[in-house]
Amino acid sequence: MKKEKPRIAFFDFACCEGCQLTVLQLEEKLLDLLDHVEVAAWRVAISGGSDAYDIAFCEGSISNREDEERLHRIRETAGTVVSLGTCASIGCHNALKNQWTGGEVLELVYGGEAGRFETLPARPVASVVPVDYQILGCPASLPEIEIVLKRILTGQPHPLPNNPVCVECKRNDNLCVLEKGVMCLGPVTRCGCDAICTSYGDACQGCRGLVDEPNLEAAVRVLTENHRHAIMDAVARGLRVDRERIRTWFSLYNGPDLQLEQEKTGHGP
Amino acid sequence: MMRDRSLPSYCVISPGSVLDFTAGILGKGPVMGPMVRPDQPGFHVFDRLRRPEDLVLEYTTTTMPPKKAFFPPTETVFRFSAGDPPNLTPVRGDPPWVLLGVHPCDLSAIDALDRAYSFPPPDRRWRHNRDRSIIVGVDCMPDEYCFCDSLGVSQARRPCDLFLTEIERGYLVETHTRAGGELLGEARTSNALGQDFLEAEHRRRQKALGIQARLSADPGRLADFLEAEPFQEIWEDIAARCYSCGSCNTTCPACFCFTMDDVFHWDLQSGERRRAWDSCQLLDFAAVAGGHRFREDRWQRVRHRWHRKFLHLYRRFGRPFCTGCGRCSRACTADINILDETNRIIAAATKGRGHA
Amino acid sequence: MPETGKRAGVPADWTYLPEPARIVSIRREAVDAVIELELADRSALGHKPGQFVQVSMFGFGEIPISICSSPTRTGRFKLCVRPAGHVSNALYRASEGDWVGIRGPFGRGFPIRTMRNRDVLAVAGGIGLAPLRSLIQYVRDNREAYGRLVVVYGARNPSLILFRTDVEAWTRGEDVEMFLTVDEADESWTGRTGVVTGPLKEIDLSTRSTVAAVVGPPVMFRFVAAELLAKGMNRRRIFFSLERRFECGIGKCGHCQLNGMYVCQDGPVFRYSDLEGFSEAVEARAPER
Repeated sequence: MKKEKPRIAFFDFACCEGCQLTVLQLEEKLLDLLDHVEVAAWRVAISGGSDAYDIAFCEGSISNREDEERLHRIRETAGTVVSLGTCASIGCHNALKNQWTGGEVLELVYGGEAGRFETLPARPVASVVPVDYQILGCPASLPEIEIVLKRILTGQPHPLPNNPVCVECKRNDNLCVLEKGVMCLGPVTRCGCDAICTSYGDACQGCRGLVDEPNLEAAVRVLTENHRHAIMDAVARGLRVDRERIRTWFSLYNGPDLQLEQEKTGHGP
Repeated sequence: MMRDRSLPSYCVISPGSVLDFTAGILGKGPVMGPMVRPDQPGFHVFDRLRRPEDLVLEYTTTTMPPKKAFFPPTETVFRFSAGDPPNLTPVRGDPPWVLLGVHPCDLSAIDALDRAYSFPPPDRRWRHNRDRSIIVGVDCMPDEYCFCDSLGVSQARRPCDLFLTEIERGYLVETHTRAGGELLGEARTSNALGQDFLEAEHRRRQKALGIQARLSADPGRLADFLEAEPFQEIWEDIAARCYSCGSCNTTCPACFCFTMDDVFHWDLQSGERRRAWDSCQLLDFAAVAGGHRFREDRWQRVRHRWHRKFLHLYRRFGRPFCTGCGRCSRACTADINILDETNRIIAAATKGRGHA
Repeated sequence: MPETGKRAGVPADWTYLPEPARIVSIRREAVDAVIELELADRSALGHKPGQFVQVSMFGFGEIPISICSSPTRTGRFKLCVRPAGHVSNALYRASEGDWVGIRGPFGRGFPIRTMRNRDVLAVAGGIGLAPLRSLIQYVRDNREAYGRLVVVYGARNPSLILFRTDVEAWTRGEDVEMFLTVDEADESWTGRTGVVTGPLKEIDLSTRSTVAAVVGPPVMFRFVAAELLAKGMNRRRIFFSLERRFECGIGKCGHCQLNGMYVCQDGPVFRYSDLEGFSEAVEARAPER
């Protein structure tokens, strides 16, 4: 049976376009993908493009009215909308600006020219239009991109992975990086990245967002009190290890999630 | 199987002969043993040995247990492809033919999994892998997390084929099975003398002295306590500190829960079913299709961990599913120590009864 | 004890390898689909009422589904699928002739031997009717071996009534006493309204000779048990079929553990009197704080 191939398109909003580049890292698997889809628009991969598409991958956060309108048009055109990466799925670094008013932010960035621009608090795609699939990660994780592509093409949903990174980290036979003196947000961060950072000895920065019902109180206690090696190491490097710093660290990727958690449970880090 | 009355038998192998022996068996098939992972200096992992000199027989407990030799963290169970009917191809396990350097606690854990996975109806994947491997145990020196002695496994031998104890001239080798004896045929050994036995005994005594941490009740009483009392405050107190990250389970040599999922290959017609280690501490572990999560509260999952290890599986298989290896306590970044918490439970249960 | 791969044609040493089965027919209702399956080698499934199978949609995954047909019928068997996850969704959308994978049957079914020569009371809530349908068919097909057959079935609303043709036949049938109720009626509904405990109150049971089989959402069990106990039923003759997460079906994967039991092997059908002692049997006791 010969079916029309669905047409895919990539769109970027406030972001670095790193997630689109990550999709290109599918490399030879791109050829497999092209057996099943046609590319309608993909700025980092092909020139030109078409306005007719079925599956829209949106990366980046929505941070001004123009973005909003463009996203609404995409939603009207595409049967399937995918938020690609943490900017599009959670808000990521873009959401850091939400702690100030739009006026303050414009003043800070554009100084005297602030009046020429307008800005909105940065929001994930799903806060503006309904989203069918979410891919997490900064950048979006390659194994998950592949899984989600296959799920879209076979009509399966992709629930957000809800295990912490530790599960995948341990399956990779890693010594806990905290044991090696590295602070880590893995225990409260969604997996699906195959624990790539910690497998190379780095900290998990929490780029995939918080798991459901994270025990943030426990996380803060571990990171400020329990974990002797990591704390001593951080202190030796002149870093502050207190609730405030941990909060800042969590906010790097998880600002909006933290806010939700705070509203739900009445406390956060 | 008939018991061989000549076993166990004893001999001595020199360090140099261990190296030759390892080189010999490496040439015949995949061998797994403890070695240093280059990016984790000072820590050991069980992995495929490439060179005999990579084998480290004096090592502290590995982060992950050797059960992965027979039950890998992730594996393919079968492949499928379209057909009428569809083609289903089972994928066999790929166990090492020799698993080297297993400490008594980890031997005991393999025994635990033998019982759990052989309980009818059996998990034949486990049996298939176990039947194809020879296990060489080695005695150890405890660290501050070890409490194997109070669970009665510090001198465990089952189910090893050979067992090594370090002595002055190398290792005293105990041969426990005929397969072990045949494997040892590959090695240059000498007769064990009185002095060798004395040294091995001395070492065992040193080890026993080195195990400072103890459970304050025997496993049978602990099971009774857990059955009799709710200990709600203790579970809630542990839960307040617990992340539910699952590391206590994923590092446990005696845990055996798993989950399965499917992936399509890129033709979107064929694919495979995979299985991976799972953990009862994870929020969605007992979730059902409608969305209901059994044991939704963290304290219920914490209680489940203790009940499973020290009560449910103890009753079913006649032994606790904890070997006192201490991996979970080492791995817990929140410093939830299985021994301390268990002793707290025992203390709470025996309070006022005058036999703490 | 049921074991996977016991039947001919399946290599005995492969746990977790399903047998292909073909979808012979599929009938979609409002929210459910009843799927009739035949194993590739056309052998009978060899199940008992109340048992379940693990059903694979290759590439999607595997889920447990209770068997809703009686072994007394044909060599084929039927499953009732309500789309709730991605596997059940895919199964719901499947077509006749499609292949799925089957492992099982697993678990302890309803106590058909205990029920012999006694009255059988089947209480179903929602999709709980599916496993009970197997029992009801079984009893009807062995009618002389059993006493009264009383069926109480509660659906949320009239459009969610499962096995409509069967329910109508049971209502008409002289060998079944059928009580159908819906939680929320609509304009067209002329029948009974309210939860299943309503009809239970009315029914005159000979409590000494009755065995009850109850299947429904967790919250239903407690109320039904309370009602049956109030009527004087023996707690050892009340049987619940529980839902838990089943992945392996053979008591290994750990997901379905309920206190010291594996629901997939030791259940899913349990005596109420046994469940009362288990802190994790939320069906038999008030939820923990």
